[in-house]
Amino acid sequence: MTVLEAKHIRKSFVGVRALSDANFSLRAGEICGLVGANGSGKTTFARIVSGLLTPDGGELRLYDKAVNLRSHLDAERSRMAMVHQNLSLVPEMTIWENIALGREKTGSLALLDNRGAVAQAEKAMETVSVKISVRERVKNISPDEKQLVEIGKALAKDPRILILDEPTASLDFHQVESLFRAVRELKERGVAIVFISHRLWEVARICDRLVAFRNGETVGELDFAVQERNEKLIIPLITGQEVREKVRRRSAQREKEIAGRGERGYALELCGVSLDGARLTDVSFSLRPGEVLGLGGLQGQGQEEILMILAGYLKGYSGEIRVDGKPLALRNTRHAIRQGIALIPGDRQKEGLFLEHSVLSNILYPKVSMHRGSFFLPRGRYQKLASEAIDTVSLVPPNPRVIVSELSGGNQQKVVVGKWLALSPKVLLLNDPTKGVDVGTRQNIYDIISGLAEKGTSVLLYASDNEELIDNCDRVLIVFEGRIVKEIRGDDINEERLVVASLNVEHASPDGRTP
Amino acid sequence: MKAHRVVRGLLQNSSFPSFLMLVLLIILNAIIQPGFFSFQVFRMNFMTFTPLILVSLAQATVILVGAVDLSLGAGISLVTVVMASLMQNSTLSMVLVTALGVAAALFLSFFNGFFIGYIGPPPLIMTFATSTMWFGTALLIMPTPGGHIPQAYYMIYGKTLAGFIPVPVLILLVAVAFCLLLGRIKAFRHLYAVGGSERAARASGISVTGTKIFAFLVSGVFIALAALCVVGQTATGDARSGQGFTLNSVAAAVIGGIAFSGGKGNYVGAIIGGIILGLLINIIYFANITSFYQEFMKGIIIIVALLFGAVPRLRRELSHH
Repeated sequence: MTVLEAKHIRKSFVGVRALSDANFSLRAGEICGLVGANGSGKTTFARIVSGLLTPDGGELRLYDKAVNLRSHLDAERSRMAMVHQNLSLVPEMTIWENIALGREKTGSLALLDNRGAVAQAEKAMETVSVKISVRERVKNISPDEKQLVEIGKALAKDPRILILDEPTASLDFHQVESLFRAVRELKERGVAIVFISHRLWEVARICDRLVAFRNGETVGELDFAVQERNEKLIIPLITGQEVREKVRRRSAQREKEIAGRGERGYALELCGVSLDGARLTDVSFSLRPGEVLGLGGLQGQGQEEILMILAGYLKGYSGEIRVDGKPLALRNTRHAIRQGIALIPGDRQKEGLFLEHSVLSNILYPKVSMHRGSFFLPRGRYQKLASEAIDTVSLVPPNPRVIVSELSGGNQQKVVVGKWLALSPKVLLLNDPTKGVDVGTRQNIYDIISGLAEKGTSVLLYASDNEELIDNCDRVLIVFEGRIVKEIRGDDINEERLVVASLNVEHASPDGRTP
Repeated sequence: MKAHRVVRGLLQNSSFPSFLMLVLLIILNAIIQPGFFSFQVFRMNFMTFTPLILVSLAQATVILVGAVDLSLGAGISLVTVVMASLMQNSTLSMVLVTALGVAAALFLSFFNGFFIGYIGPPPLIMTFATSTMWFGTALLIMPTPGGHIPQAYYMIYGKTLAGFIPVPVLILLVAVAFCLLLGRIKAFRHLYAVGGSERAARASGISVTGTKIFAFLVSGVFIALAALCVVGQTATGDARSGQGFTLNSVAAAVIGGIAFSGGKGNYVGAIIGGIILGLLINIIYFANITSFYQEFMKGIIIIVALLFGAVPRLRRELSHH
């Protein structure tokens, strides 16, 4: 039975066309992937289907009945749940309150049935294998747990249609496994599932079928009942071009070159850095000028803490940090920036950008905040710096007056990178810089980074996606439970080695790929 | 294990610092104010504490939903003026005019909530605008304090029921019962959600507009009760009688741990905040501070109270960041 049918859906936002001709259908008991580059309209489509957005035109049918496109709280939609990419949780409320939010059951006299809500939340958390108390406040839990709570919230609605928008972006291997288990169980029960993801290998693994969007249009479909489950088949649908086999871009030549530079000393050295509560234990490494050093391993093993210490956010560490050979106690973020250490944060919307300000202001804030000397700011010079930065990161559109919130996610991330260029940092710290960014922009960002490295900037990169480490790093340090457990160099950096080292068990051979 | 959680919950509770402050102030007050623990003084104190606690609850409600109400004091004034200008000596008149006063308070709050919910102006400016409207209307009705409140009516406020429950305390108990009821109502849960994250609330299918109006209406109930207390206390209608309540209520709510950003805090904190402010005024009065310095001292003490509230946050930040 077809539970969802969308035909010729159109939607524009002030002058930008997000969807021009989206077509999609979904049957009960099927998992259908929805793939496409960033800005191809996947999320817009999902939001239209779940009623959060009103389309400009087109037809939408649920359970064979036409849907009133203007009404969000349509009865037809009551059995539909969406797991949002931008979380829909209230941080100050507890897990169980969030799970019940919007559908609170009432007992006699319209009083809330809290006990029932707690029980239901506990059940939902069990399905997604979260082992924290449902009475914990959402602000106190980690991003991956938040994501799982979000999924639990959708499951608790007992939906007939479930839309998962990038549900695995912040999950580790085991969490993805338990999510998949839950999703398959739902499928058995006849629930129709839409799975939106950038992680093509996951799509290839879990979906029965997939639909690809490109520039707001449905461009193709793959049915895994007849086609091979291979992510290489998906890529041409997304990009519209054949892909060449991946080649590691770093060469042995380059390794020698960097080693040569090392003779002149290190840009950054850490000696026995530890952080309270064993969050970090005895972390030591050194970074040569122009080197791209990766931090790998499972998520949440202390990689972010290392970056946060270096960026001046986390204080109270022990051990020594040397920049250009000089011992340094990093006092605060400002101090770190003055030393030439710049952080590109993971949550760009929160920590990287002033969303309502123009590209120009965003790019210039670091420069302006470090301004010394004249009373008035040298406006002409700064504007020139900004347009240079815009050129370097090839921002689309290349207009410094655009408000950042109007840019696509990938271009927003380019602004985050661009704002540090004017300061020409010595050390660039990257905290998962391409999370939720499409393939094209991802390449773009890494091109900028390797360009900087070639000019002598040292880069410390944490990425949750092993492929990015393989592609971009000269060396990778594997972090496990706050310690550096392994270093992998040059051509030895490959998926298998990274995965094995991440799990910190020698000789283990994982039967699946980790994210 | 369970006990550990209870202790941790208590320490993390947003009203814990204000509770400490409360204990401190009670001790100080007991030293300064003669006969602090006698029933008479207790009764007298609550005649002034009750309206403060009520406005603190009113303000807390709208702050929780992410708004603020600067028209609260002017609203109280307007209600007293309306009541004093209409009330006659008959029992029927007293009952009707009381009902009218309550209805007026609810209407004023609804007006704020409706505009803020549907049109979406910043609550600060919106309620500032309505505050001057309410004040102007009150002046129009009664340019100078006066009107008529029958003795039989205002005397009720000073009475003691069953020999041990002063009427102000009874009013407070009614308000507390109302709070307890609210805590188990769906719309009140949504109030926290909207104040905590409007976007998340919307994504969960909650009507943000409706929730804001609900918050202002609940606030209106507390404002109505506060206005009745003020009528009982002053026995007149006065276009300026409520003036001081506006910012006192904001201070009380924030001292009580209600986060100005919305969605965080609880009514226990708001009540404690109201009592703290009442005790402060008491202490300044009984410490024989020259009236010139009274307001100045009050400001200083409020800042100290706010610092108290900031201690857990500061400790966290100093240790981690």
